[in-house]
Amino acid sequence: MENVLNKEIKQIIESCPEVGRILDEYGIGCVPCSVGSCLLKDVVGIHNLDPEKEATLMYRIEKAIYPDRNVAKPVIDPTKKSAPKKITYSPPVKKLVDEHVLIKRLLALIPTIADYIETSMKVDKDLVLRCVDFIRTYADKYHHMKEEDILFKYADEKAEIIQVMYKDHDTGRGYIRQVVEGAEKGNKAQIKQNMLAYQELLTQHIKKEDEILYPWIDRQLSTAQVGEMFRRCNEADASVGEELPKKYEKFIVDLEEKFLQEVTK
Amino acid sequence: MSGCPGSRTIDFSENTAQEGSETGKRPSQLRQWPIQMHLVSPQAPYFQGKDILLAADCTAFSLGDFHKDYLKGKSIAIACPKLDSDQEIYTEKIKALIDDAKINTLTVMIMQVPCCFGLAQIAKEGAEKATRKIPIKQVVVGLEGNILSEEWI
Ligand SMILES: [Fe+2]
Ligand SMILES: [Fe+2]
Repeated sequence: MENVLNKEIKQIIESCPEVGRILDEYGIGCVPCSVGSCLLKDVVGIHNLDPEKEATLMYRIEKAIYPDRNVAKPVIDPTKKSAPKKITYSPPVKKLVDEHVLIKRLLALIPTIADYIETSMKVDKDLVLRCVDFIRTYADKYHHMKEEDILFKYADEKAEIIQVMYKDHDTGRGYIRQVVEGAEKGNKAQIKQNMLAYQELLTQHIKKEDEILYPWIDRQLSTAQVGEMFRRCNEADASVGEELPKKYEKFIVDLEEKFLQEVTK
Repeated sequence: MSGCPGSRTIDFSENTAQEGSETGKRPSQLRQWPIQMHLVSPQAPYFQGKDILLAADCTAFSLGDFHKDYLKGKSIAIACPKLDSDQEIYTEKIKALIDDAKINTLTVMIMQVPCCFGLAQIAKEGAEKATRKIPIKQVVVGLEGNILSEEWI
């Protein structure tokens, strides 16, 4: 089992798809992951299952890979802390989770906006560029930069999950470049397709961060590190000024007013 | 059962089946003097920029690994929210620790008895008065020396 633990999850699932189905049962969604280079041991560790569940999961995976092997029934380690039922975040991480809420409000509007762009006579370039501005300034500069410059530095940056997060941020930037290009050329299909791709990507990305990555990093932080990160995030926020988040919150409120009415009309 | 749970008599001397090791020496993790909240000064060098533990008096006696797990790496102030007088001074000192000593974090450690939550309340009031913001953690210790909860507040 030892060497399987050190194998990349994608390889394991490719050679034994049953493992993917078992992981899925435990809420570990490795099958649709675009990278899949996390090691099995990290995949399991990062999800902070309670000891009994983790032992049973490992037992089932080993049975799936080596059906003929006489695998020992799970031994439960009673000293290991069980996973907390409700996720609690440290204050600096909680602030990042709260920022996701505003980003998710834009994501929720994207399908409606994309339809509106598609069906309107002329591309509303101004609207597209204002959404792009929110994404580039609030989601990317204000939020992702704190993740990349501060939060991720407290984790093992070589860890695959962090690499996946960096890759997601980059992929998102690529989609937004395409949206801008579509707006310049008046190419509705290009705008719609890339806006929807961004929505799908960021929705999954935020879910991974809220439920898996942030709690994982939080569990490794010492009290002193929490204080230091809180200060650094506050300094980063202060450097852009307190008007910036307010401005973008207002942008979302206005956008909701316009498009949620559009839907109910 | 009636009366204040904070002073109710409970005997758990029968409770001997505890894991743990008695071998090896544990050095003290205390790096300062004084420690009592009325005696400490927020200007003391050992508070500047540090992680502070504000511990209810009883916690250190209840928790077996108080030094190793909670005091290590921190500066400390102790108080009893039930018996100490002039507690408004405590609120002011918390404010001064945050604003003037620019402490990094504050961990409030209290016993599970209701009156002990007064210390968390003092910490919150001091933090609300302060202009700087810092993370504050609350650790609740059970009467038998177990950690009941540990959360950022
Ligand atoms: Fe991110
Ligand atoms: Fe994020």
